[in-house]
Amino acid sequence: MPREIKMPKLSDTMEEGTLNVWRKREGDRIERGDVLLEVETDKADMEYEAYVSGTLVKILVREGETVSVGTPIAVVRLDSDSDEAVQALLAKHGGAGEAAARPAPARERRPAQPEEEAALRAPQPGEPAREAAQERPAARAARAPAPERLELPPRESRLAFFFPDPDRVRATPRARVLARERDVDLTEIAGSGPEGAVLASDVEAWLQALEASSQPALAGDVPATPVAVRIADELGLDLTAVTGSGPGGRVTKRDLRGFLEARERGAPTRAVALYGDEIKLSQKRKFLTRQMVDSKQTAPHFYVSMHVDAEPMRALRDRLKGEGRRVTYTHMLIKAAALALEAFPEVNATWREDGIVKFNPINIAVAVAVGDELVAPVVKDCQGRGLEDLAVASDALIQKAREKKLAPEDYSDGTFTISNLGMFGVDAFYAIITPPQATVLSVGRMRDVPVADGGELRVRPRITLGLGCDHRVLDGAKAAQFLAEFKRILESPQELLAEGGEHAA
Amino acid sequence: MPPELAVEWLGTVAYAEALERQRKCVEGVRTGAGGEILLLLEHPPVVTLGRSARPDHLLESRESLAARGVEVHAVGRGGDVTWHGPGQLVGYLVVDLQARGRPDVHRFLRDLEAGLVEAVGELGVAGGALPGMTGVFVAPSQPPRKLASIGVGLRGWVTCHGFALNVDPDLAGFDAIVPCGLRGVAMTSLARELGARAPRDLPARARDAVARAFVQRFA
Repeated sequence: MPREIKMPKLSDTMEEGTLNVWRKREGDRIERGDVLLEVETDKADMEYEAYVSGTLVKILVREGETVSVGTPIAVVRLDSDSDEAVQALLAKHGGAGEAAARPAPARERRPAQPEEEAALRAPQPGEPAREAAQERPAARAARAPAPERLELPPRESRLAFFFPDPDRVRATPRARVLARERDVDLTEIAGSGPEGAVLASDVEAWLQALEASSQPALAGDVPATPVAVRIADELGLDLTAVTGSGPGGRVTKRDLRGFLEARERGAPTRAVALYGDEIKLSQKRKFLTRQMVDSKQTAPHFYVSMHVDAEPMRALRDRLKGEGRRVTYTHMLIKAAALALEAFPEVNATWREDGIVKFNPINIAVAVAVGDELVAPVVKDCQGRGLEDLAVASDALIQKAREKKLAPEDYSDGTFTISNLGMFGVDAFYAIITPPQATVLSVGRMRDVPVADGGELRVRPRITLGLGCDHRVLDGAKAAQFLAEFKRILESPQELLAEGGEHAA
Repeated sequence: MPPELAVEWLGTVAYAEALERQRKCVEGVRTGAGGEILLLLEHPPVVTLGRSARPDHLLESRESLAARGVEVHAVGRGGDVTWHGPGQLVGYLVVDLQARGRPDVHRFLRDLEAGLVEAVGELGVAGGALPGMTGVFVAPSQPPRKLASIGVGLRGWVTCHGFALNVDPDLAGFDAIVPCGLRGVAMTSLARELGARAPRDLPARARDAVARAFVQRFA
């Protein structure tokens, strides 16, 4: 049988590989142990060696292409293979897909045996008929329908064709015992006893042959008997879906029978329906994902929340607007954060190895969603800066973020993060801390709520602040004090307007 | 008998010479004539292009690099483009993954990362790995700061190439390239991360720490 070389599985976690280099060309003679190709996964490049000798008759995947593990990448003809068998396998690959769309690259090939060349060339539709007299016998054979495939019964009855009823296999009692002990599938063995009965010696010979034919296994390879491999190839079955019961867990003929029977009964193939296409992630997104997992798993998070009376903020914004000064709630939050962190330097800190280290500057990161990406530009050195100074600095960064023009230093070294989902209608939430910071402020939307005020019911605007904290750096009482200070500042317009750090703690 | 891992410090070795040395080691392991080995060395300035190197990740022309005495080599390892030079500890690890049972390329890459993380940890730098970005980074850092690059080659299941750990190189060497094809990743070194805490004999300590971590993991 000609062999399909498949994209090897070099790791349990390898799903696809890139064919970097073909070290042999179509038509080349290959010997077992020759380097056939180089395949890359992650940062590893493997020189993949042939495990059979023969001729590389067809390359199915070109250099630079990335394909799933198990995808056929080439066809190798063994010396014992007939033209018909090779042609049948090539027809399978030439019948559909990209390979068929490309013209046969005859000129690119190194000189091969002329007979072989002709024999291996798939007939092209609409190809002008050559003069019969010029055709060599091998070429004629190649054009003839492949007998091996013609002999197959129609698809519906293939199960019966390939799989005689295992209960009706003739075998001696000793052969049956041996087969059971060694997990041998008797339907795979041609018996040499009377009326084709399987003898114990047949079972032993079969086991020896299996041992001798074993190829070095690649990680994730499905072990299977040669017969099972051939049948699976013929029927286009994926062996990874079949559980093996043969020697060394190999998939055998009876396992395939069981699998096909289950499939014909309509056993659910749920895995196919459950999972669809994978969404490719950018490197940045992968990094963020890992960072969030690390943070949530290593930093013991806890959360405190408070409602802030937003009337003073609203009044301040309107007043400044009347004076032609544009200040947003985000600007006020940055200013309030700077003041609160100045009052609580122990909150502007990080956990390192086995101790708390204070940050020198107050660098406030503002989380911004840009398309599908989350970025957090950092307003640096916020201590002692006035509201409008901070407004200008943060607006410039946020604008840069929306234009995707942030330089690495624009989103590095944050010491505190503000995340605001108010514009999405969120009332309250609790974000994950960005390492190496110890706190994150989550800001909900401003909403009018009824409040009891001196025994009377009034409607006032409220914002809910959620503070996520790393318990290694601060405890609940400290978090409460810090958040209370944050709230007090937001409710005190004169503090937000104060220049420098002269507010009284 | 558990496999033995020999460690050899070769000093400064030209790139082509080191390739030849590795080739012999791989042949030795494959034929059984030689044992598994970790070669530790430094290279004179050289830029190498892995199998998936993109031309635009070489930011300086070959002529200009040659004029500065920097060689350029295309090599049979995985990965993109990288720079080697004085102050960088290069490790070439030749081991037979199949002989250890259940060979797995990704696990091998993770083992290399873990060995390096252990070694730099011993020197006082918290290192870590990032998914989808083979190599060792300072953890946690944003943007990621890269301490060591990894790229391996395999002949059958015998490994070659390995890693390059920045001990105290002139990081300007990396300016000629986009390291490993990762834009937005900053290269760093043990010396830079340790600052004033860096001991005088950092290169020797780094060699020892790496040798210890790898012997423990691979022998």
